[in-house]
Amino acid sequence: MCGIVGFLDKTSNEGTTVGQTILKMLTALEVRGPDSAGVALFGPPENSGFVVRVKLGEHGDFEEKGTFIAKRVQEFGSVGEVKTTAEYLRFVIDLRGEPTSLASFIESLEDGIEVVSMGRMLEVVKQVGSPQNLEATYGVSAFLGTHGLGHTRLSTESRVDLSHSQPFWAHGYPDLAIVHNGHITNYHKMRRRYEQHGVKFYTENDSEIIGVYLAERLSQGLTLRETLDASLIDLDGSFSYLVATPDAIGFAKDPFAFKPLLFTETDTFVAVATEEIAIRSAFDGAYEVREAQAKDVRIWQR
Amino acid sequence: MAEIVCVGKTTRDINVEIKRLIARGETDIRVKNPGARHNLGVAILESVELTFDGSVGYYCAGMIDGPTVKVRGSTGWGLAESMMDGTVIVEGSAGNGAAASIRGGTVIIHGDAAARLGVSMKGGLILVGGNCGYMAGFMAQKGTLIVCGDAGEAFADSMYEGICFVGGSIAELGNDAVIEKPTAEDLAFLESTLSRYLPQKIEIHDFKKVISGRKLWNFDKDERAVWREAL
Repeated sequence: MCGIVGFLDKTSNEGTTVGQTILKMLTALEVRGPDSAGVALFGPPENSGFVVRVKLGEHGDFEEKGTFIAKRVQEFGSVGEVKTTAEYLRFVIDLRGEPTSLASFIESLEDGIEVVSMGRMLEVVKQVGSPQNLEATYGVSAFLGTHGLGHTRLSTESRVDLSHSQPFWAHGYPDLAIVHNGHITNYHKMRRRYEQHGVKFYTENDSEIIGVYLAERLSQGLTLRETLDASLIDLDGSFSYLVATPDAIGFAKDPFAFKPLLFTETDTFVAVATEEIAIRSAFDGAYEVREAQAKDVRIWQR
Repeated sequence: MAEIVCVGKTTRDINVEIKRLIARGETDIRVKNPGARHNLGVAILESVELTFDGSVGYYCAGMIDGPTVKVRGSTGWGLAESMMDGTVIVEGSAGNGAAASIRGGTVIIHGDAAARLGVSMKGGLILVGGNCGYMAGFMAQKGTLIVCGDAGEAFADSMYEGICFVGGSIAELGNDAVIEKPTAEDLAFLESTLSRYLPQKIEIHDFKKVISGRKLWNFDKDERAVWREAL
């Protein structure tokens, strides 16, 4: 099971109510994934630097930890908009140096700390529980932006906690996020290969490898389309996954069409979801929805 | 005509209402704003006309025996699964596994069908105005499958019996699927079937006929290679 959704607004650069739209779509798919819910939202570019979202661990005084980290990261650049909500710290940093160095530094400060997302536009918020809980804790519906992804999770292989929830940020690669429905069967083999090259994995969730893989391919200079096409050969198993970058969303569906994925495109928006009910819950009016075929790769650029 | 408005109702409310209207003797039922809900109009055994004014979700019109079900939109997975008899018409496109395991009746899809269309069909007629995806007609035992557009990979794989027609290209034939030239009788059947069921006019001259090569019916040790490929 699991439910995945994606939305891209074509009308405005200032940002529409992307948080509200993704939340509506996600709520319709809650029954597919009662374990956890999460969103990856792209706002207007943060000119002053990178938005960083940090998971502060499972227990402890989150406020205190948040303040401590916000202070320590000042050696990487000037820090603003510091806010701790539940187990998340969010801040904006005018970063000097590499995003990966900052992420490693933050994660070295204490066990259980993880940089959940980093980018000029991307913000990932996820937690155990329903989309309603996500809204109650973080008010994601207030988020304005241009596009985003969402995920409701039914865990099959790995544990249920915040880190194992989706969307996954492709750690170290700013502004790249994925959501996945399915099962990557060559996960262990691929993971061993990546680990031999020093890539750090944060979870036992097979979906995490998709972000790692896409980031690797994009870093090699492949375009987003070439990357998604290559994934159809390199990833085994069942998958419909969505990817979002600063200016696009896209999807790829496995060669056996094991997992559902439906999409629609109108003059004003693009919507993709595991079930049409998610699209119909968020958008009124007349438009046609179709299921993607096996091996389908589609990308919508803003 | 009786009408059901879905807004604010659960799937169960709607299905109970449909059954109640049929029991009351209604023969023309219209369901407004189905909102792509799942499991609508399942197991209806009466010859009524049931119209969904919009898209439906998974498993619509499954296990029916007799009604005419129209969908003014698209459908999710498992449309008309295991139907015995009746007619299902979809004005949009259908998701995976449409008309899987049907034993009779007619399923018309004006748009495209996704993967596994008509797998294991044991009778009836399936007609797709557009294209179909991967593995259509897999292990079909009987019946007719017509695709006016292009067919995906593994088309008509491991069929026992059954007849397929494809108007466009076939990405790849399945195991033991064989192309043959349609007979004059076949063309007459296509002509009358397409003009009867589809809103658009379709030329039938280039239609290909695909049937079972019957090599997988019995094991023959001289055909080990065929089996290795199929399994």
